[in-house]
Amino acid sequence: MPKLTVEDLKNLREGLRDKMNIRSGEAKAKVIVHMSTCGIAAGARDILKAFMDEIENRGITDILVTTSSCAGLCSKEPMITVLYQNQPPVKYVELTPQKVKKIFEEHLLNGNIVKEFALASGSETTA
Amino acid sequence: MAYRSHILLCSGTGCVSCGAFTLKETLKTELQKRNLQDEIQVVTTGCQGFCAEGPIMIVQPDGIFYCQVKPSDVPTIVEEHFIKGRPVKKLLYTGAAKATPIPALKDIPFFAKQQLVVLRNRGLVDPDKIEDYIAVDGYSALSKALTEMKPEAIIAEIKRSGLRGRGGGGFPAGIKWETCRKAYLQRNVEPVVICNADEGDPGAYMDRSIIESDPHAVLEGMAIAAYAIGAKEGFIYIRHEYPLARQRLLNAIEQAKEYGLLGENILNTNFSFNIEIVQGAGAFVCGESTALMASLEGEVGEPRAKYIHTVEYGYKNRPSNLNNVETYANVPLIILRGSDWFASMGTGDPRENPWNGSSGTKVFSLVGKVNNTGLIEVPMGISLREIIFDIGGGIPKGKKFKAVQTGGPSGGCLPESKLDMPVDFDSLTEAGSMMGSGGMIVMDEETCMVDVARYFISFLTEESCGKCTPCREGLRTMLDILNRICEGKGKEEDIAFLEEMGEVMQDCCLCALGTSAPNPVLSTIEYFKNEYLEHIKNHKCPGGVCKELITYVIDKNKCDGCHACTKVCSSNAIKGEAKKLHSIDTTKCIKCGACIEVCTKDAIYKE
Amino acid sequence: MADNTIKIKINGFEVEAFDRQPLIEVAEKIGVKIPTLCHNPIIEPYGVCRICTVEVRHRNRVRMVTACNYPVTNGIEVFTDSERVIRNRKLIIEWLLGRCGNVKVLNDLAEQYGITEPRFGRGTDDCILCGLCVRMCQDVVKANVLGFFERGPKRYVSTSFDQTSDLCITCGACASVCPTGCIKIDKLEEGTYKEMPMGPVTPIHIDFMQAVPKKAVIDKESCINFKTGGCKVCVDVCEAEAIDHSMEAKEKEVDVGTIILSTGFKLQNGEELKEYGYGKYPNILSSLDFEVLNNANGPTGGKIFTQDGRVPKSIGIVHCVGSRDKKYHEYCSRVCCMYALKFAHLIKEKIHDCEVYNFYIDMRCFGKGYEEFYNRLLKEGVNFVRGKVAEITDAALDKSEQGKLILRAEDTLIGTVRRIPVDMVVLCLAIEAQEDAKEVSHFFSCSVGRDGFFIEKHPKLAPVSTAADGIFIAGVAQGPKDIPDTVAQAGAAASAVLSLIQQKEVEAEVVTASIDEEICSGCQICVGLCPYTAITYNKDKNISELNEALCKGCGTCVAACPSGAAQQKNFRDNQIFAEIKGILAV
Repeated sequence: MPKLTVEDLKNLREGLRDKMNIRSGEAKAKVIVHMSTCGIAAGARDILKAFMDEIENRGITDILVTTSSCAGLCSKEPMITVLYQNQPPVKYVELTPQKVKKIFEEHLLNGNIVKEFALASGSETTA
Repeated sequence: MAYRSHILLCSGTGCVSCGAFTLKETLKTELQKRNLQDEIQVVTTGCQGFCAEGPIMIVQPDGIFYCQVKPSDVPTIVEEHFIKGRPVKKLLYTGAAKATPIPALKDIPFFAKQQLVVLRNRGLVDPDKIEDYIAVDGYSALSKALTEMKPEAIIAEIKRSGLRGRGGGGFPAGIKWETCRKAYLQRNVEPVVICNADEGDPGAYMDRSIIESDPHAVLEGMAIAAYAIGAKEGFIYIRHEYPLARQRLLNAIEQAKEYGLLGENILNTNFSFNIEIVQGAGAFVCGESTALMASLEGEVGEPRAKYIHTVEYGYKNRPSNLNNVETYANVPLIILRGSDWFASMGTGDPRENPWNGSSGTKVFSLVGKVNNTGLIEVPMGISLREIIFDIGGGIPKGKKFKAVQTGGPSGGCLPESKLDMPVDFDSLTEAGSMMGSGGMIVMDEETCMVDVARYFISFLTEESCGKCTPCREGLRTMLDILNRICEGKGKEEDIAFLEEMGEVMQDCCLCALGTSAPNPVLSTIEYFKNEYLEHIKNHKCPGGVCKELITYVIDKNKCDGCHACTKVCSSNAIKGEAKKLHSIDTTKCIKCGACIEVCTKDAIYKE
Repeated sequence: MADNTIKIKINGFEVEAFDRQPLIEVAEKIGVKIPTLCHNPIIEPYGVCRICTVEVRHRNRVRMVTACNYPVTNGIEVFTDSERVIRNRKLIIEWLLGRCGNVKVLNDLAEQYGITEPRFGRGTDDCILCGLCVRMCQDVVKANVLGFFERGPKRYVSTSFDQTSDLCITCGACASVCPTGCIKIDKLEEGTYKEMPMGPVTPIHIDFMQAVPKKAVIDKESCINFKTGGCKVCVDVCEAEAIDHSMEAKEKEVDVGTIILSTGFKLQNGEELKEYGYGKYPNILSSLDFEVLNNANGPTGGKIFTQDGRVPKSIGIVHCVGSRDKKYHEYCSRVCCMYALKFAHLIKEKIHDCEVYNFYIDMRCFGKGYEEFYNRLLKEGVNFVRGKVAEITDAALDKSEQGKLILRAEDTLIGTVRRIPVDMVVLCLAIEAQEDAKEVSHFFSCSVGRDGFFIEKHPKLAPVSTAADGIFIAGVAQGPKDIPDTVAQAGAAASAVLSLIQQKEVEAEVVTASIDEEICSGCQICVGLCPYTAITYNKDKNISELNEALCKGCGTCVAACPSGAAQQKNFRDNQIFAEIKGILAV
């Protein structure tokens, strides 16, 4: 990887920005599994595996699964954030592999939020 | 003067990651250029819920909704919409706003009252992908610092922002950097930048979270500090018990090096900076600055006499700048957004005097007897009540709040009367506690404050390095007395004795760990003396914790003889016939609490 | 010098100091005593006992600081005995007593501060964890043997893995700085006893108070600096800056005309006589050992103690050890009887009720007042047993002998073998010639007798001269003698030398040998034979050469020379034949 100059950094930033919010058209949905030490201790790895299994078993190519860090509400982990097309991000809490299956079918495939597992929608406030 | 229009810019993490703040600056500049700054106000708001369409811009009272606004659109918007009154059609939101059937994050108190600065990227970026960080303005601050600012200017900016050490000391970072640079220039000895990621306070995990969420923020902060001070070498001293955090840091450093954002000739400038990760080995005392540096040098991690400042003679006798993880994580944003922005949050105005007030935000780990345990970031000056009851959601199971412990083993316990106190460096210290690194443990009516003091003192006794007499002997003897009190063998003179010992330790201990060690005892004696007296005089434990002083009783009005408790009692202390009132043999009861847990009728209580 | 001078106040008194000078030094200067436990002027301050904590005010700020390492700055006001300081000090003493309740230095402090009932009781440990031993070993001596282990209340001082360390050079520095005395120096091997040091205690020492010149010397073998490169504390404290570890022995060549050999003697090694148990049993001393013990400048200040510190109730003095003995030396060492009597007298003077036994063969009191002195001792109640001690043992036969040394000797005057148990034995060991007396004598062209002492030219008429002209002998090197006789001999040798030097001319020996260069084949037989080392071999010429000044005309080389190159003047073959002819002609 070539070392960046100031210009390179700026250009790289512009190019990557859209990817953050799946606006560049590659994916129709993105699942962020929150995995810090607290999440992992609560079982986030199983949740991640469950999503990866669903994608593999169904042969999906347009749903991204990524990991990130703890979202703050440690008492309700394992947690995920689902980004679906033009909808605001939705946070699901206290997950199990069974709940994952339902969320995958209803929200990720069909765009319907699973109310009973969801905590809230939207993003946190940055100062 | 009344504004004729308000521009509401969404500052949800989604929109911010798409450049909402750059947009804000561009807007403000353009409005200034067109002399509209007094007519049109720019306001940032919480998440509007249209994160996929960000950056979002709402113009009121027109009710116009712009989405995916870029800085290049700003002149057009100002020209067409604000001057000529014609909304810019191509930027208008066209899709149907789907009403989401679940609550909005901004309406949930846990999230609503938080303001993310240090944790702005949490849950959003993949910490193992430097590209994610770059996408959200990562390393732009370093770029700006290296190419547009001189070291002295950076130091002045940090001073002006009022950033105070987030590790607990609360010392203005700008002044520390200034002194370090001065020592470097005077002695011509290359300085070193050190990050304290030892985080030994039990229950505290702010630094771990910061590193696991956004390791690059810490690296960028350190690099800016190094450039400002004149250092080429940096260390992160991370505790052994944080393997994931350490791994994420190692990955981050490697990726940053590949892109030339760390290492030799960063971003093609003359500035080189390398960071090495050093692991601790399970010693709380190594969080103390001189002990940390001794450990870095390969010596035994023990503090040394404090009359020589480590900022002048520290690691290997070089000028050393030691700051906490959170302090460094604040630095990139201060450089990008400016000291005025940072100073506008929190309490007081530090721009002339960095000691004035506490600016910015603070990350706390809110744990203990509270509904929403988690990691929060709030502006300085927020009250304890808001943190515990709004963000924290109050005490679970309807129990009553008793105390909140702040600052870890060096801090103190604050009672209900202090709930409306603003949380900042000076107020907490005045009240007898301290900010510490941000641990906040909530306690309810079933906590025994004497037991809490004993817990902290036993932790400190284990962790004391043992070098100086007052800490080594003082903690040991304090623990003896507290143990006695908890066993019902306390004496009247014990309280005064504990206070005396505490005062001598505060005067005579060699390091800050020792001088702050009596705080848990002294603050609990100050605010909860009645609990001590109950233990000593009446041999009772009001919190129902001290085993020698409580007995388990079955309420005859509630027990229905279901046998649930007899099955779990490991010492066979519960006797009773089926469907008839059970009773506990107090000579056999070991007070493990298993029976209380299984009783569905709530029939067992402690007295 | 006046550049960094500042002014501070201590207890209200203004005093001058250097900027950043340690507060405790400034206080000492004006006689203000601040108690310390972990402080020692030759070691970097550690600041851990915290008992030297004092109050410092500067402008409006009050700080409690440790005096041992606090750097003073201009304008501070120090209070060393305020109420707060005293309260802190007292609690620290109580805390330390709670760990080490019976340590003298702590109890002294407790008394000073009026602590009679320490509230934490009295612990049974004896180490106050001051770290002086560790820092001494690591920073000064640099042997790196001692260290701290564990942390918190469990902290303790030890060697690595709590095992005896190979690195320890037994310098004893740790024990010397320990304020509680809890470090002991022990001998490791079985069967040896704890020795009271009899000689110099430190590698740098003045040999004894009467030494000439009375200067300190460093024993290279035991000095720490030569082992680890550390210490050099002596250099730090020497005000005259006289110590230089890099000094080497220098060889000097001096041209002289006369030489006096007075190389003295050595005392026999007591371990040779296995029957006396010297070096095997404790409390058996040689006469020199006893002299050191008895000396007011010695290890006990002149008091007589056994090696385990008791006052002996009975002492045996054995005469003629190794002297007048066919197995060792047939000669009498001359001085022992008199000093043995001196010892007996001194012992009786110092320990009145001590039973002293002198075991002798004959009492040799030959000098002025000597016999009178012997009679006096008889009156002082010294026991004299006429009989040579056969054996010294510690095998007790009954209770009265237990723990004592038993001397077995035949008391010839009463005709029985006696066993006399005593607490201490002094052996009058033989005076022997120096180990290298023979080599030295050859070097100086003289000889030694069978007894190893230098041979004088004539036993009666020339006691200080030797066969070699210009070489004289004096003192015990010539044979055992006491001080008056040695002084007399020294004077004789000196005057002989002076009279030689005064003469402008010296009569040389006429009848010397000569070596004919042409005939000499360089076989070197004569070189080794010459008792006066007058012949040397010249490599370049391949001949032997004679030094006429050294030659005494003994004729040995002449007789030995195979080629006839060596000839004696006046004794050539033709001259001898001529004499024979002359006699036969009569």
